[in-house]
Amino acid sequence: MNKQMALFLAHSAELETEAQERYEELAESMREHRNIPVADFFRRMVDEAGRHLEEVAELAADMTLPDLKAWEFDWPDAEAPETTSYEALHYRMSLRQAMQLALDNERAARAYYSDYADNCEDVETAEVARSFAAEESSHVAELERLMAEQPADHPHLWEEDDDPHMPE
Amino acid sequence: MMQAIPLKARDFKSDVKPIWCPGCGHFSVLNAITKAMAALGIDKDDTVLVSGIGCSSRLPAYVDSYGFHGVHGRGLAIAQGLKVARPDLTVLALGGDGDGFSIGGNHFIHACRRNVNMTYIAMDNEVYGMTKGQASPTTPMDWDHSKLTPHGPGVRPFKPAALALASGAPWIGRGYSGNPNQIAKLIAEAVEFPGFSFLHVMSQCITFCPEQTDWKAVVSEMDGPPLADADAAAKQFLHEDGFQTGLLYREERPTWPPVGETAVDETALASLAASFSV
Repeated sequence: MNKQMALFLAHSAELETEAQERYEELAESMREHRNIPVADFFRRMVDEAGRHLEEVAELAADMTLPDLKAWEFDWPDAEAPETTSYEALHYRMSLRQAMQLALDNERAARAYYSDYADNCEDVETAEVARSFAAEESSHVAELERLMAEQPADHPHLWEEDDDPHMPE
Repeated sequence: MMQAIPLKARDFKSDVKPIWCPGCGHFSVLNAITKAMAALGIDKDDTVLVSGIGCSSRLPAYVDSYGFHGVHGRGLAIAQGLKVARPDLTVLALGGDGDGFSIGGNHFIHACRRNVNMTYIAMDNEVYGMTKGQASPTTPMDWDHSKLTPHGPGVRPFKPAALALASGAPWIGRGYSGNPNQIAKLIAEAVEFPGFSFLHVMSQCITFCPEQTDWKAVVSEMDGPPLADADAAAKQFLHEDGFQTGLLYREERPTWPPVGETAVDETALASLAASFSV
């Protein structure tokens, strides 16, 4: 068995699983807070991540992947590259801001796969990593196209009559 | 014979969907708890999450195990009673900074002193979020975002790690909600520790304290093994900036009751139960 490939696919599966589960969590919480356009967008991203996860699962079908604990994965940052960071979220965020977050995630995933391919000694694994990077590039291009169609955010987007602070 | 399929983190989530604000740090702790449970291979039926009141105390409802949503500040009291009566269970108490350090402050210091073999996770966002943003025991003294304290609380915030150490806690860790995988690792270590483990999590409140998103730039991980010398730890916890994460302090000392034993008198318990029978 190609151990390098198994380790890489374990990371890829975790990356897509984390991305999918975070988008799912965000879609649900945005719906809970009545930000429906953003909830629908995150739901769409759940499906996107799910499709990529299926591809990874297909490649790994005849392999035994290493059983790593959540903290044993080797990521460039605290969380897997395509996982939406909690710091950038707000229930009043616009669709455009949500798209920007997703775009940042896709770019991070592309950089991860691309770096992996460049630094991997196993030719077969590097080739798969490069194909994953190319797929992330197509997601980046699609999100850039969607963002270009979005109107600019209202300058007072973050203001509302019912401020969350306690009334006097 | 069929082999049991190991459970994944998501298998430990219940069907109840969190109503926390998107971006709330408590999501991170929820994910960390389920990841730790999956990693430890914990049996759902042998695990109990006990909480008090507050945003963070909603957490037991979101985990597919046994749970008890108690009264304000009393999560630790209930959890200790449960662990003493049922030492075979894995017991985690959960709550926020107001619940744990103010309303439940008395229970916190005595839980540290008593050293029952269980884990307490305090999700500290330095504010009472559920009641719309009032100062808590860990709010910075110049935090002037609430109309109740327009010039800031004006009093020094608690240092939870120092308080825990002074009260006798043998295991003290600190996590940050921006790093759920580190929190998961700390929870797994805390659960396996034979004694009272206190995990302080800096868990951002995106709604009432949006400035806490800056924490990401200042948190750091502790280098090397945890401190085992209480004097050195006291010095560190009193003078640090509070942004160092990891397992900070660890010493082993006898638990109450001894690990695996119960302090319950079964005969007296049966007699008490009988007195309530109708």
